[in-house]
Amino acid sequence: MAVTATDVAARAEERGRDRHFIGGSVFAAIGVLLALAAFFALGADRTTTFRLDVTLTDARWTIPTRPAVIALAAVCAAAGLWLLGGIRQRLYKIASTCAVAAIVLALICWAVSQPGQSFRAESILAGSLFLSLPFIFGALAGVVCERSGVINIGIEGQFLMGAFAGVFVANLADNVYVGLLGAMLAGSLSTLLLALLATRFQVNQVVVGVILNLLALGFTGFMYDQLKTTPGANTAYGVPQNALGGLGLGFLSDIPLAGPILFDQNLFVYIGLAMVFVVWFLLFRTRWGLRTRSVGEHPAAADSMGVGVNRLRFWNVTAAGLVSGFGGAFFTIANSLAFNKNMTAGLGFVALAVMIVGRWNPIGVLAGALIFGFASQMAEDLDAAGNSIIPGPFLQMLPYAATLVVVAGLIGRAKAPAADGVPYNPGDE
Amino acid sequence: MRLELRGLTKKFGSFTADDDIDLTVEPGQIHAVLGENGAGKSTLMNMLYGILKPTSGEILIDGEPVEFGGPGDAIDAGLGMVHQHFKLVGPFSVADNVQLGREHTRGAGVLSPRAARAAVLEVSEQYGLALDPGAVVEDLPVGVQQRVEIVKALSGPKTELLILDEPTAVLTPAEIRELLAIMRSLAEAGTSILFISHKLKEVQAVADTVTVIRRGRVVAELPPTASEAEMASAMVGREISLTVDKAEPEPAEPRLEIDGLTLVDDHGVKVLDGLDLTVRGGEIVGLAGVEGNGQTELARTVLGLIKPDSGRVVIDDRDATGESPARRIRAGLGYIPEDRARDGVITEFTVAENLVLNQYRDEPFSRRGMVDAAAIRRQAAESVAEFDIRTQSPDDPAASLSGGNQQKVIVAREFSRPRRVLVAAQPTRGIDVGATEFIHSRLVTERDNGTAVLLISSELDEIYALADRIAVIYNGRIVGEVGPDTPREVIGRLMVGGEADADGGDRER
Repeated sequence: MAVTATDVAARAEERGRDRHFIGGSVFAAIGVLLALAAFFALGADRTTTFRLDVTLTDARWTIPTRPAVIALAAVCAAAGLWLLGGIRQRLYKIASTCAVAAIVLALICWAVSQPGQSFRAESILAGSLFLSLPFIFGALAGVVCERSGVINIGIEGQFLMGAFAGVFVANLADNVYVGLLGAMLAGSLSTLLLALLATRFQVNQVVVGVILNLLALGFTGFMYDQLKTTPGANTAYGVPQNALGGLGLGFLSDIPLAGPILFDQNLFVYIGLAMVFVVWFLLFRTRWGLRTRSVGEHPAAADSMGVGVNRLRFWNVTAAGLVSGFGGAFFTIANSLAFNKNMTAGLGFVALAVMIVGRWNPIGVLAGALIFGFASQMAEDLDAAGNSIIPGPFLQMLPYAATLVVVAGLIGRAKAPAADGVPYNPGDE
Repeated sequence: MRLELRGLTKKFGSFTADDDIDLTVEPGQIHAVLGENGAGKSTLMNMLYGILKPTSGEILIDGEPVEFGGPGDAIDAGLGMVHQHFKLVGPFSVADNVQLGREHTRGAGVLSPRAARAAVLEVSEQYGLALDPGAVVEDLPVGVQQRVEIVKALSGPKTELLILDEPTAVLTPAEIRELLAIMRSLAEAGTSILFISHKLKEVQAVADTVTVIRRGRVVAELPPTASEAEMASAMVGREISLTVDKAEPEPAEPRLEIDGLTLVDDHGVKVLDGLDLTVRGGEIVGLAGVEGNGQTELARTVLGLIKPDSGRVVIDDRDATGESPARRIRAGLGYIPEDRARDGVITEFTVAENLVLNQYRDEPFSRRGMVDAAAIRRQAAESVAEFDIRTQSPDDPAASLSGGNQQKVIVAREFSRPRRVLVAAQPTRGIDVGATEFIHSRLVTERDNGTAVLLISSELDEIYALADRIAVIYNGRIVGEVGPDTPREVIGRLMVGGEADADGGDRER
């Protein structure tokens, strides 16, 4: 979030102080309620422990929970009052980000304050990065499509195709890397249809996307039923869990905090992070990127300069399928799982939200994906701990709730490429 | 470059847009193509620029026949085009817009921002067109955006002929003067210019030769010294009166009173700043001003689409400030909006439906909540005849009409109902001489019937032709109210915030 916040702050001019009644009163109220709740509901003997659970297993920092939660609630309430009293435009985002961060931290402190529990910083952060991968791949595919002016709400379907084809092809070839290739091609096959219908036949892209999702769901479900009795068709394949170990860089994973998060990860993590920067570079630093963005913003302008609008859109959308198909393989191959019906569980739609949260920018996508990855990881962790007062299914709603809150509240108006979803006919204005 | 078109023809189905057009542009010449909207000018340019393929005929460059598969071929052949609707990518920088399609790279497709900047600066220096290559295009004023378009057109591999398609349609008078000067200096430097327009004064001011086309055919080749009346009648095919005949006004009681109107926009800027203005029955008040000084907001506030932060709008001695637009319309307020396509017609609706948009709920068009299609059709037939709306049938969608005829639909709709006050915002923008003449005469008839008319126009010619009194708006305030005989220079000074008297005195910021 820091990226978008500073970004916006830099652009916004100093326009005196603005008052934000709704945001301010919500933050102030949450702050006060949280503080009161902590005061009355939290036992004074509760403590919250933070641990580096992988590298320095002896290190632990313990703080009394009640004062910590009350202090964080006070930060949130203060930010709310600041918004109510009037705040400079460029500080607005910073203040609301602080308030949200304080709420989240306070809730975490509270949640892990049960006796015997602790906040396993390294596992949780490493897991967050891992779980952010589907969002990264899906949203990057979305960014490439929508920057070219084609709405791709079929990411969920491309995930399913990739997840299925990854395992299936790996089984056929008995090689996981060939399986990854198969996943990419399957995703691309799905977007090829979208590209064809959107450019050649100018069909409504949202409708096509919905149909493609249903098509993928039906097709992979059918294939799963057909193959589940066939031995050697849906056996789990995986990639090495510590990719850097194979390169002789395994020692890096012993660095506290950074080691487990950055240097002891699955191959998918490194490909995902690399893709963020590759797509960013391609979009904003190359001829292809300039043309792609122009086609998504003002196709008639691009056309008048000799850029083949529909041709570029077609190939971009088809290529984006390679990325989302690879993201689909996350569900099976990165997790060393066999394919299962509808195993993507709607995360393709969350990836769309991540794309919007990231403002159609790969760096923003990374930031957004990490937030959602963290939410997923926390939900999993609290659920696994078992003694949480909140039932498991509610915790699993956390990523989706986060989607709603972030999209509706924090981001506000995000500007899509101007020609996003608008078919282009040569000669159009 | 010498450009020759021989027998160029374009057919769309059974409709012939351009029929056997011959035209020659000599090197270093400004050649104007004059014609009404829908005469086939844009089709001609699109063929020339490779966007459309001619049905028959040929294009010769320096005597050699050429064929363009797309705009890229035309650009390579040395043509540059400035489109009527700018082909600029708003969020891009000036340099990125100029290099689009022929990017400066460091090899392997990686952009070189420095080379792109340098290329823009080189062209802008060469032709004296000041530009900041790093500026974001959507933040630039329209006149500067057009300069970007010109630099873009000149930045081709060897641009020798520039096509300017209705380049002045969106410009303020000062920007138009600047553009005409740029055109002259480009021509002196040897660039040929093909100048598409329907504005006679501009054509007279810069062109070396004038070709007039009507209904897809060349109907006249005129020297620029030909009179305006001569050009206009060639364009329209009949005698045209360029001056509006009108009697002395007989102003009656105030019908529209605007009192201390103030409006603050989202950015905290006062777009209307204590604006006072009174329009009496039986007079036309012309509101002159450079666009963007609050005219749009004023019109929308008078209609009730925007609620002012303070001040009053009084219609017929009744305070209408808090009333809805529907209420004001019923009370006799007519409105010709400046943005036809957005506020004036619903393009998907039929002509007949558009003609009753302001009264479909009233008798006889609805009865007990049901629309009476027969009554609407009768009304449509009447309006189509009276206002000379050229449509195949009143049941065709409004989108199928030309801009001028859409405007006639709006005028017919507003005039088909008794009214006390009329706000006409840019009533003839982008429409041709014939329709303009018609709408002007209707506005005068309206005045003679006793309506109070507020005419908002960025065209001083239009203000002079119609207004009985001229008010000048600047920064959301009326900075002067003068008679219709006031010299242009005085109004021009007021429009940019100067004083009415010649020395200027203390200039307002």
